Amino acid sequence: MKKILVLDDDPIFIESIRASLDSARYDFVSAGNGAEGLKIMEKAKPDLILLDIMMPTMDGMEFLKQVNKKYGKGATPIFITSNLSSIEKVSDGVSLGIRGYFVKSNESLQGIIGTIDRVFQK
Amino acid sequence: MLLIISSIVVACGAVGVSVYFAVKNHKAKTALETREREVSRKMYELAILKELGDRIGYSLDVQQIIDIIVNSLHQFIEYSAVSYMLLEPEKVMFKMHLERSVHRRFVNDIRDRMLGSLGALLDREFDRKDVKEILSGAIIIEELEEPVRSFFNIPLVIDEKVVGVLTVADTKTGLYKEEEMTILYKIIQQASKAVTSLQGVVKTEQAKVSAMVESMEDGVVMTDADYRILVINPAAKRVIGQEKKTGVTIFDFIDNLGGKMDIRGRLEESVKLKKTFVSERFGIKERFYQSFVFPVKTMSALNADEVLGGVVIFHDVTREVELERVRDDFTSMIVHELRTPLSGIQKASELLKRPSKKASPSPKQYIDIIYQNSSGMLDLVNDILDAAKLQAGKFEISREPADIEEVMSNRMDFFNISAVDKKIRLMMSVDKNIPKGVAFDVQRVKQVLNNLISNALKFTAEGGTVSVSAFGHETGAQINDETRKAGVQLPEPLPEEKFASLPESLVVTVTDTGVGIATEHMPELFSKFKQIGNKTLIPNIKGTGLGLAIARGIIEGHGGIIGLVSKVDAGSAFYFSLPLAKLEIK
Repeated sequence: MKKILVLDDDPIFIESIRASLDSARYDFVSAGNGAEGLKIMEKAKPDLILLDIMMPTMDGMEFLKQVNKKYGKGATPIFITSNLSSIEKVSDGVSLGIRGYFVKSNESLQGIIGTIDRVFQK
Repeated sequence: MLLIISSIVVACGAVGVSVYFAVKNHKAKTALETREREVSRKMYELAILKELGDRIGYSLDVQQIIDIIVNSLHQFIEYSAVSYMLLEPEKVMFKMHLERSVHRRFVNDIRDRMLGSLGALLDREFDRKDVKEILSGAIIIEELEEPVRSFFNIPLVIDEKVVGVLTVADTKTGLYKEEEMTILYKIIQQASKAVTSLQGVVKTEQAKVSAMVESMEDGVVMTDADYRILVINPAAKRVIGQEKKTGVTIFDFIDNLGGKMDIRGRLEESVKLKKTFVSERFGIKERFYQSFVFPVKTMSALNADEVLGGVVIFHDVTREVELERVRDDFTSMIVHELRTPLSGIQKASELLKRPSKKASPSPKQYIDIIYQNSSGMLDLVNDILDAAKLQAGKFEISREPADIEEVMSNRMDFFNISAVDKKIRLMMSVDKNIPKGVAFDVQRVKQVLNNLISNALKFTAEGGTVSVSAFGHETGAQINDETRKAGVQLPEPLPEEKFASLPESLVVTVTDTGVGIATEHMPELFSKFKQIGNKTLIPNIKGTGLGLAIARGIIEGHGGIIGLVSKVDAGSAFYFSLPLAKLEIK
């Protein structure tokens, strides 16, 4: 079983990912902001993270920096899932060691799930 | 015989006539020569003045002007040596041109006499050590023991200040009469007059130019062809953070520009290749600049296009960069806010199409999601359209006589559910003396109330209170007396000065017991592109920040005012006024 952590302040997105993931293969945890995400990481040790950028309290970029500091850059595969599409954010993310960047409205659930599956097939 | 006598008489007569003519001729000749001499002197005077005029046209160098005079002096005065002394900041420059060879003592004698008269003119002591001597012309020959026998001094005066002396000297006696001295004196006087008035013009012009350069917001640096800084204004020093330093050099720029702009290389291209350069934007010390480098060429016809140096201009584009950034942030925020409900709708429909095996939300819940997201998006699109109308100045208000109490009650009903959900007390009070029949745009004022009440609910924690009040404002009355009479509680008094000039109005306040807003953030609140920067200050709040900008547009469209008073950790009160406008009959 692989554990997926979804950090997003949009409950609909969290629900749609939860509903789409094959529960026979994946465990699912979620939180609404970066600070809660850090707490979950300590306990749950996720194998992959879907990370939103614009979140209250602690945004996605700050979460990335904290995770890198604590666990090392790229230790856990992280995909940014955001509706922001600024090139700056993408390149900031890449320099912080992210595995990929999804613009939520441009990506189907199937596409996101497919990418997650492929990470663990290798 | 008679013939002989008569011919003698004729001859004698002829002799007499010729003697008469010879004498007359001689007189005429002398007069002519005098006149010729006068004319030639006049010509010389004119020639030298013309030459001075031509050359002073582009030079105010006193030495250069004296050189011109000195070099042409031999045309009308005889001398062994002509020399001048000019005061320099540290030295006294002594230049002597020898027309004929003389003994060294001759030179020393003149030097000492000149130093003496300079000292007398300026009433100060000069030391021989301070003299910088330049000899030209004929050579010194020690065998020639001729002393100085003729000699005269003319002081060089520019702008009423003695700057030096000019001396003509000869080994022969009694050479210089008053006539020569007068002419030379006249020439020197004219030259110094020309220089003085030119210097005056230049000084005023320079003062204007330097005042302009000093006060320019753009940094200006001018260097000579060897990259020595000739002109630098305070703005240019500010660019490299050297406001206090005097004697800034090109190296200060090289060090502080830190490779952002190759100032030396660009100046070199400018000076040597006469190239103009325009840089990309670059940032130094939290500001952004665009720089321009131009060659500085001479303007005179004589040596046109000769490059004197280069000028670098630092144009501050920080404001533009910030504005662009704000606009970009705004655009990406709008894109984000539009995509979020759309992607929700998309994900919900995807799940509806492909039912999950799990016991996840039911189709009805997905349809609810789709409904909520599309309504949210519709509101957003309306906000964007309103903001666009506001910006284009096409925002229309249609007034009709209405009852504010009714409008407020209607909004209370609308927000009551969410207030109860959040455990916030939502209250309303309308002063009994409220003016009736105020004409306003009901839908638009509802929109303003929606915005203010929903904000108040957002920023107030559980157990807090949001109250909406309305009361009347009389012309010239103290607004805070009126709030007290109406029993309206506010975290801070309302600004009297803003209400002082208002006509009789209806005033509505929306007060919360929320986090409050710091004074420095208040002006940003009502502007279109700004939302309070630090999101973590106000947790769980998202939005475009367009609402207040639109509210302001609506209230100002009615001729009213909108604003807020706030106290951090105590709460905020937003207020707006609607003037009691008589309905215009169309």
